[in-house]
Amino acid sequence: MTARVIMKLKVEAARLTTPKVLHLRLVHPLKPELPAWEPGAHVDLRLPDGKIRQYSLCGDPDDRSAYEIAIKREDAGRGGSRGAHETLSEGSVAHVSAPRNNFPLQQADRHLFVVGGIGVTPVLAMVRRLSAQGADFRVDFCAPSEHDAPLLPELRAICGERLRTWLSSDGARFDPREIGRAQEGDQLYVCGPQRLLEAVRAAAVELGWPEARIHAEAFQATLDENFKPEPFDATLASTGETLHVPADRSLLDVLRDHGVTMPSSCELGVCGSCVCGYRDGVVIHRDSVISVTDRQHRIAPCVSRARVAVTLDL
Amino acid sequence: MRADEAESQILSETPSKPRPTMVEAYENPAGSIARHVPGGATGFRGVLLHIHVAPAASYEMEELAEAECVAGRGIVGDRYFEGTGTYSPKPDTREVTLIEQEALDALARNDPPLQGGGITLAPGDHRRNLTVRGVPLNHLVGRRFRVGEVILRGGRLNFPCKYLEELLGSPVYLPLYNRSGLNCGIERGGVIRPGDEIELLDDASA
Repeated sequence: MTARVIMKLKVEAARLTTPKVLHLRLVHPLKPELPAWEPGAHVDLRLPDGKIRQYSLCGDPDDRSAYEIAIKREDAGRGGSRGAHETLSEGSVAHVSAPRNNFPLQQADRHLFVVGGIGVTPVLAMVRRLSAQGADFRVDFCAPSEHDAPLLPELRAICGERLRTWLSSDGARFDPREIGRAQEGDQLYVCGPQRLLEAVRAAAVELGWPEARIHAEAFQATLDENFKPEPFDATLASTGETLHVPADRSLLDVLRDHGVTMPSSCELGVCGSCVCGYRDGVVIHRDSVISVTDRQHRIAPCVSRARVAVTLDL
Repeated sequence: MRADEAESQILSETPSKPRPTMVEAYENPAGSIARHVPGGATGFRGVLLHIHVAPAASYEMEELAEAECVAGRGIVGDRYFEGTGTYSPKPDTREVTLIEQEALDALARNDPPLQGGGITLAPGDHRRNLTVRGVPLNHLVGRRFRVGEVILRGGRLNFPCKYLEELLGSPVYLPLYNRSGLNCGIERGGVIRPGDEIELLDDASA
């Protein structure tokens, strides 16, 4: 995965789009254009306490003059979003990386989106593009209430009739089977809490959707309370050197200790910064970023491990 | 917290990296040999065009109107002065890096034609500290030269890295090969500014 430039951007506008969601418009203090991006892309935001968090770009991908992100304040979270809410306001400086895209639009005759809450951010950019292209799409948006549905006015303005809202406050509950059977040329995108992702994926598989046409983005690590890490050995293909990874340490940490500099960011298996290739060995994949097909040869050393031994393309 | 406070806090709390381990230019494996081999261009009069620093690894370079150079350490405010550079943990000569404007001009006109077209690097995108014109950098390994009031020693030729290619998203590795600039140590510190004159000095201690 590639290294990305970090820019000190100016917060041009900051407003609460819901009581918990801060919407920011970021511009470069010197340059009229920011690095280009495609719908579905995210940026890393470096917070004052050194934390790095990923936020999807929700603005117009054809407008290079600004990036827009929306940050939900997660009071029970790891503190990143709280820090952002407390320190970022109009005129302040945000340390932001160039964008990366792990959730791109696919070739499709029809695009179906299932969105929960703050998961709306990448989808907003995606439907902006699809709408501009006159493409066929539909959005199901689940939120607690109108009041707590982030960026709902923007989504309505773009989608019109193509948007269905499912607000708990109205007693409207989204049944994942609403997505229907997969038609030829359909692609399904799910973005939101892990619970929603799992429910929609299960329903989709039941309805005959092939795995390759279901695209999900979780900005939350896959949690597996029952996972017991075990030690293993990692061999570097370039030098033949073998490193021992104890049970209580990550492969990424051990690589770093041995002077193998790896880019990294979330260290939760969601951002893809540290992903590298591997040649042989049985890898225990624990990330949420590498696709099923790429798991044959790619590994996220921040969270994933191996049974007994693995050879890395490093 | 004010924005600038938040900012300095971010930079100071960038994951702790070891202090920079600078290799003195003439102790560099390249510089130590080149120093005793005569030859190279003399009598040139070059000029300093731009000064750039980056506060930490991967951060965009920022242009300075003047910069303080500290002997044995680097340019105040730069990631290799702070020890927060991508390669800071690796002992090497990188107090100051320089690149020729002429090399950037050649890249822009795709000369030699290694790519589909020219590559225009905006000032600072090359991530070297000093952009100079009229200075034959490849001749200055093992030599002393003056930039304004500051004296630099050429330690080794700079080498393009894949990291730069990734950072820029542009295939600059091959076209920069052998004209990627010069890594220097600072013999005498001081303040430099764009427009400063650059000239070769005698090797006083040879």
